Amino acid sequence: MGSEMTFYENLSQRGVSRRDFLKFCGSTAAVLGLSSTFVPTLASKIAGAAESGLTPAIWATGGKCTGCLESTLQATYPNVADIVLDLLTLNYSAASMATGKYAGEAKKGVYEGDRPFIMIYEGAIMTGLGGNTLVNADKTTSLDDLEHVMHSPNLKAIIAMGQCAVDGGWTRAFPNPAGGMGIKYYLEQEGLDHVPVVNLPGCPASPEELTAVVVQALLLGSDGTLETGIQAVAADLDRLNRPKYLYNATIHDSCPRRGHFENGEFVHRYGSDAEKKNWCVYPMGCKGPQTYRRCPMMRWNDAQSWCVESGGICIGCATWNWVDNNAPFKGRHRRVGANNILPGVWKGGINPIGTAAALTGVVAAALVAHGFGMKAAGRCGKNATLKTEEMKEYDRKRLKKQGGA
Amino acid sequence: MATPNITMDPITRIEGQLAVECVAENGVIVDAWSVSKLFRGIEVVLKGRAPEDAFYVTQRMCGVCPTSHGHASSKAVEAIDPSFRLPNGARIVRNILEGAEWLHSHIFHFYALAALDYVNPAKALQADIANTIALAKEKGIAIDDYAAVQARVLKLVQGGDLSIFTNGWWGIDPVANPEEADELYNPDMPAELHLIGVAQYLKGLEMQAVAAQIIAIIGGKFPMPMTSVAGGTAWMPRADKLDDCLFRLKEVADFIKRQMIPYTFAIAPYYVSALSYGQGVGNFLSWGCFDRSSMTPENRYLPAGFIKSAVGLNVVNRPDPKMVTEDVGRSWYKNSSNLMPFDGATEPVTNFEYDLGGKYSWGKAPKYAGDPMEAGPLARILVAYMDTDSPTNSLIRGVVDNAVATLGIELTDLVSTLGRVAARNLEAAVAAELAFEWVDELVVELRKGRADFWTSYSARSGEGVATWEAPRGALAHYIKTAGGRIENYQIVTPSTWILSPRNDDGAPGPMEAALIGTPVANIERPIEAARVIRSFDP
Repeated sequence: MGSEMTFYENLSQRGVSRRDFLKFCGSTAAVLGLSSTFVPTLASKIAGAAESGLTPAIWATGGKCTGCLESTLQATYPNVADIVLDLLTLNYSAASMATGKYAGEAKKGVYEGDRPFIMIYEGAIMTGLGGNTLVNADKTTSLDDLEHVMHSPNLKAIIAMGQCAVDGGWTRAFPNPAGGMGIKYYLEQEGLDHVPVVNLPGCPASPEELTAVVVQALLLGSDGTLETGIQAVAADLDRLNRPKYLYNATIHDSCPRRGHFENGEFVHRYGSDAEKKNWCVYPMGCKGPQTYRRCPMMRWNDAQSWCVESGGICIGCATWNWVDNNAPFKGRHRRVGANNILPGVWKGGINPIGTAAALTGVVAAALVAHGFGMKAAGRCGKNATLKTEEMKEYDRKRLKKQGGA
Repeated sequence: MATPNITMDPITRIEGQLAVECVAENGVIVDAWSVSKLFRGIEVVLKGRAPEDAFYVTQRMCGVCPTSHGHASSKAVEAIDPSFRLPNGARIVRNILEGAEWLHSHIFHFYALAALDYVNPAKALQADIANTIALAKEKGIAIDDYAAVQARVLKLVQGGDLSIFTNGWWGIDPVANPEEADELYNPDMPAELHLIGVAQYLKGLEMQAVAAQIIAIIGGKFPMPMTSVAGGTAWMPRADKLDDCLFRLKEVADFIKRQMIPYTFAIAPYYVSALSYGQGVGNFLSWGCFDRSSMTPENRYLPAGFIKSAVGLNVVNRPDPKMVTEDVGRSWYKNSSNLMPFDGATEPVTNFEYDLGGKYSWGKAPKYAGDPMEAGPLARILVAYMDTDSPTNSLIRGVVDNAVATLGIELTDLVSTLGRVAARNLEAAVAAELAFEWVDELVVELRKGRADFWTSYSARSGEGVATWEAPRGALAHYIKTAGGRIENYQIVTPSTWILSPRNDDGAPGPMEAALIGTPVANIERPIEAARVIRSFDP
C-alpha cells in the first residue's frame, strides 16, 4: 500500500465504504470490551498504521486441520478484515502460495529480510516419533522448521491461533502417540522462548479474536508499529497467556439462555418443546459455565449464530486440553481425564496426574453440586418445568384481564 | 528406483500437509509418490470414549469438511441401533447443512485453491475493459466491475506487494518478465478472460463465506457446526431462520449459475491439453450422499455406486463398506495389512524411516475389493450419470450432457485433470438446485406440523458403519462399541483414497497414477503436475 493514497481511498478501492469500516471498528470495539466512544480512536489508529507501512507476517502450520485458517476466511467484513490482516502483509502462507521450493523461498525472504515480522502459528507442535509425525520430503521435520524461524532475529512475536497451537488440542489427547504440544510450552521446553507468545484458544479460533488482538496491538504500540503493539499485548496476558480482555468472562455469564437457567427451565431432550422455546441446555452437557470465551456476544460467521443459539451445547473448545477434560460432552457426568496436565507443569516428562485430576475433580464436584442444588430447590426437573409454565400462563391471563399486552 | 528429480514440498493451496515426489524423463513423469506428511492419531484418541462424543471429535479431522465428518459419525453411532430411524425433519435439515458445506467447499476449491493454476493475475492488467464486458456478455457471464478489479491488481503490482499472489509464478517476476510468466498458462488465453477470472476469484472468496453462513445459521458456526448430533439434529427450524438460509442460498446459486459455470466453459478450450493427462486409476467409488426418506444409500440424491475400469465405465454396482481393506506396507504403521476397518488398527512404526522404496506416507492404502479407487465429484457424477435407476439421473444427465455438448468433448474425456475440475463445478450447480428442493421440503413438513427432529437410540454395544460423502469424496466411519464405550473407531477419508501411497500389491494410489504419464515442460516449474494434484482437491 503506497503512502500517497489515504487509507480511506484505499478502502474504497477495495469496495469498502467508510461506513462499513466504522461498523467494523464498532464490532471490534465490542469484542475488545471497549465502549463505543473508542470507535473514532480505533479508526484513526488503524488508518494511521495502514498508512505508515506494513508489518510482515507468516502463517506457519503444524499438526492442523486447516479449521483456523478456514475460520479466518469467514471474517465479518472480508474486505476490511483483509486490510487489518494486510497490516500484517501475509508474505508466507502455505494455503495461498506457490508450491514447493518457491514457497520456501518466500518464507526465507521473510526470515532473512531486514524487517521485523510476527508469526501466526496454526496447529500443534508435533513431537511424536522425534518430530516425524510431521515430516518433510527432505527428511527434516516441522520441529526443524520451527527452530529455523526462532533463530531469526527479526521475529518479534508469535500468535498461537487456535487450541492446537495453544495446548496441542486434540492431537495431545490421551493416549495419542502423535505428541501434540502448544507452541509456547514447546518453546519453553527447548529453551527457545525468547519472543512473546499470545495464545488465542478455541477450536477453531475466531477471526474476530485475531483482529481484536491486532487492533489492540495498534492501540498499545508505543511507536505505532504492530510489533511493539503485540509485545505490549503480550505483556498483559492471563496465566494461560491469553489476552485478558478477551477471555475474562464465561459463556454462561452472557448467554442469552441464562434467564432460563435461573428460572430452572431446561432442555432435557433435543427436538423437544423446551428446545423450541430456547431453554437452557445445561443438562445436555453444556460447558458454558466453565468456558471463558465471548461467543454469545461475538457470535460466528458474520454474527449469524453460535453453538448454543442454534441448539447445540458448548463443549468448552477453548478450555485447557478440552478433549480430555470435558469428555464425555453429553450430560453432566464428568470422567476425570488421565492426560490432564496443566500448563507450565509439563516439563522434563513430569506428569502430575494426581494434582491435575484432583483439580478437575473439584470443578466437577462444584458443578454437580450446582446441578443438585438446582434440583433440590425445585428449579430443575420435569415437575418444576410444568409449574413454571403454569405460572407463566396464569400471569399471561391476568395481564390480559387487566388490559395489558 | 530412479531418484526423484521433482520434489514439491509443501504442496500449497490445499487443505492438508502433503508432499509429492516425481521422476520425470524426457518431459514426462514416469514415477510419482504421494507423501502424507502428518500423523494425528484421531482413531487412537477415540477409543474408550462415549460413542456420541465422536461427533464432536471427528469433525476436527478436517476444518474444511467438518460437517461431513459430523454426519458420518452420527450416522455410524445410529447404525449400531437396528431399530433406529432418523426423523424426517432431521434428515432434511442434515441435507441442507451438508449441501451448504459442499457449496462452500467447491467454490473455495475452484477459486482460492485451483484457479491460480489457470488464471494469471498479472496478465489481467493488459485487459481492455470494454472488451472484457463484451467477452463476458458473449460467454453468458454476469458483468462485474472489471475496472475496479483491474485497479486493485495494479495497486498491488505497483506497491511491489503482491499479497496473496506473491510468488504465484514459480519464481518468475510477472512484472519484469510478463511473457515468461505467461508461458506457465496458455499464452493464447486473452487478458480479458484473466481479468474476469481475477474478478471472480475475489467474488468467490465472498461467496464461500456466504455459503458457510448457512451452516452457521443451522449449526451455530463454521467450521465445526454443533447440531447434527446422533439421533437427529439439535436445531429447530424457524421461519425467519429458513428465510435467512434461503436468501443466502439464492445468492450462492446465482453466483454458481451466472459466474462459475460459464467461466469454466470459457477457459476450458484454452486448457484442452489437460483433458489428455491425469486419468488416474479409472476405478470410481461413491458411497452416496443426501438421504431421501427411504434412507437407503442407492436411493440417495447422489446414489451409492462403484465403477471399475476393467468392467467398463457404464457399469455401476452397489458398494458394500465391508469390502474395504487397508494396506500399510508402504505406510508408517506396524500393524498388519489388508484389514477391514472394523478390525483396523492405527499403530505407528517405532523405527521411523523416510524411504520412497519402502515406507513413505502417513496415509494408508485403501482398496475396494482389491483395487485402489478414485473418490470425489468426478466419481459421484459418473455414478449418478450411469445409474439410470436413480431419481436424480435425469437432472445429472441434463447438466452433464449440456456441459459435454458445450465443450465439444466426449463423456469419457471427463476422466482427466480438466474433467475432474469441471465435474466439481457442475456438481456445485447440482447441489445448489437440490438445496432449494430441501428447503421447500422442510417448509412443507413444518406446515403439516408433523416434523420431528430427534429421537432416542441405543449405542451401548454393537457395530455400526456410516457411508457418506464429503465434498472431496467417499467417507466412511466404522465404529465398534462395548459397554457404552468406543472399542474401535476407524475412518476412511476421501484423502485416504485419493492420496493413497502404493498398496501391498505395488499398485499406485489414484493421484500417483494420475501423475504418471503427465507431461512436464519444465521440471523446475512443474505446473502441469500441480494441476493434476489440485484437480483432486487433496
